[in-house]
Amino acid sequence: MTSFDTLTAAQIAAGVADGTFSATEVARAALDAIQARESSVQAFLQVTPELALEHARKVDAARAAGEKLGCLAGVPVAVKDNMNLAGTRTTCASLMLENYESPYTATCVQRLVDAGAVPVGKTNMDEFAFGSSTESSAFHRTNNPWDTERVPGGSSGGSAAAVAAGEVPITLGSDTGGSIRQPASLCGVVGLKPTYGAVSRYGVVAFGSSLDQVGPFARTVEDAALAMNALVAGGRDPLDSTSQDCPVDFVEHLNDPVEGMRVGYIPGLMEAEGLTPEVREAMARAKAAFEAQGAELVEIELPHMDAAIAAYYVIGPAEAFSNLARFDGVRYGYQEKDCSTLAEQSALSRAHGFGSEAKRRQMLGAYLLSSGVYDQYYFAAQQVRTLITRDYTRAFERCDVILMPASPRTAFRFGEISDPTQMYLSDVFTVSLNIVGNGGVSVPLGLGSESGLPVSAQLVGPAFSDRRLLTFARALEREAGTVNVVAPDFAGKGGELA
Amino acid sequence: MALSADDVRGIADYARIALSPEELEAMTAYLNDTIAILDPILQYDLEGVEPTYHPIGDLANVMRDDAEAPGLAIDAALGNAGSTRGRSFRVPSILGDGGAA
Repeated sequence: MTSFDTLTAAQIAAGVADGTFSATEVARAALDAIQARESSVQAFLQVTPELALEHARKVDAARAAGEKLGCLAGVPVAVKDNMNLAGTRTTCASLMLENYESPYTATCVQRLVDAGAVPVGKTNMDEFAFGSSTESSAFHRTNNPWDTERVPGGSSGGSAAAVAAGEVPITLGSDTGGSIRQPASLCGVVGLKPTYGAVSRYGVVAFGSSLDQVGPFARTVEDAALAMNALVAGGRDPLDSTSQDCPVDFVEHLNDPVEGMRVGYIPGLMEAEGLTPEVREAMARAKAAFEAQGAELVEIELPHMDAAIAAYYVIGPAEAFSNLARFDGVRYGYQEKDCSTLAEQSALSRAHGFGSEAKRRQMLGAYLLSSGVYDQYYFAAQQVRTLITRDYTRAFERCDVILMPASPRTAFRFGEISDPTQMYLSDVFTVSLNIVGNGGVSVPLGLGSESGLPVSAQLVGPAFSDRRLLTFARALEREAGTVNVVAPDFAGKGGELA
Repeated sequence: MALSADDVRGIADYARIALSPEELEAMTAYLNDTIAILDPILQYDLEGVEPTYHPIGDLANVMRDDAEAPGLAIDAALGNAGSTRGRSFRVPSILGDGGAA
């Protein structure tokens, strides 16, 4: 007997292709693992056994018919609950969309399915992706598999926790200001935010349209690369005007050497407020790992980084306010009954449908876009965006990849950061990348020496160099030995494969 | 200058979010705290700096051929609405005094 969670997605796809096990057997093992672990993790908002078995049977039938199987054949996957999947609800973890039935399937989800992946459910998140701890979900909290009294990070906390707990090998998240990289860091898994435009957002509920990007979580860099191959297959999505062609094989050059490559780092960043000693140690280990493999360390500067948080908390809420105006209780979403005017129905539907953080972000956005304030903040934020973009362009003239933390600290306790503005400041290492659009990946580096909680490094690449970014991530993973690690309290619990 | 509760009531009206008196007080404090962390963008000399509205600078309008393609069926489009009539979404009066939906 093999425990399902010891297998990577690559191993599952290979095993299904060569007949070692069927997709249906794998799906049943994944559903068993979820059943055994979910009461402790609470990563899911919906588990979809019937849908999973239906898709698994299709993969098995395709194999029996001698058809060529996709790169994720029989691999159980789960997606963040802001992604439409026909046959499921898409709630965005909000009372506003508690009963919203997906009318169609998002392109990113469809592409996983087209590659043979088996969808087993929808994962928890901060409401409408507003948050860094998944505590703002309207339905329940998600526990960090490394310490269930701590948050998994956010906003894609359910997707990160499901992978860390060994419930599925691959999940999808969305990243508007760090919502893939930060929970990946706190849960000790790989989390990739691809370059803006690399993955279609059609069918993903919008937060900040100039910032949002979809990407994978996995327990190995290779599995993240496999997921990327599925996500970019088929090229540009005509249904998303920002979608770009990415005709590359993310797996092909994964194990290329990084010898002679230049890894940039920012010495001053180590003095950032709130950066814990364990995260500093992790950065030192990452530097040593690259040096051991013959890479050259280069000091660089990003002089306008200190304005990134401010620019982000102008652009993000402004775009969110604009995007969430569609939730007026008319076409979908919570509707207040017995109102005498449309304006009253909108104001009360939004008051009762949205939670506190969703209201706060929209109120901030409404203020920032109001007459007189717009020029002072919104226009200036877009000018600062130019300065930060230039900073990165200059930095990449001197290096091939930039090393920095993904999160200033390891996973924190529930309720530990209750002041919203303090929570915002913890996004300091992730938001600048959404502002410029480049790709970034969080790579696990083992456990902190004091806390025993996962620590990580974030790697940042030039735009549309995500394949090479994963080569650097693989080099780090190889040196750190963090391949396919499941949180110890969950490893092997349920989900046996014959 | 700090925002007053009256200012915040006006923003809530614009944002179509009804706030209780307790929420209004908390929201006023929140907005003032958060606006304070936006200060760094006001500290730079931005004279002559072009704004960047989008990460993909040379993004052009994407047009498709003017050909018939399948869209969302009416049942699916109306399926998530709180109130419908026939092939339409049903709403209360948009000008007031029109009765409940």
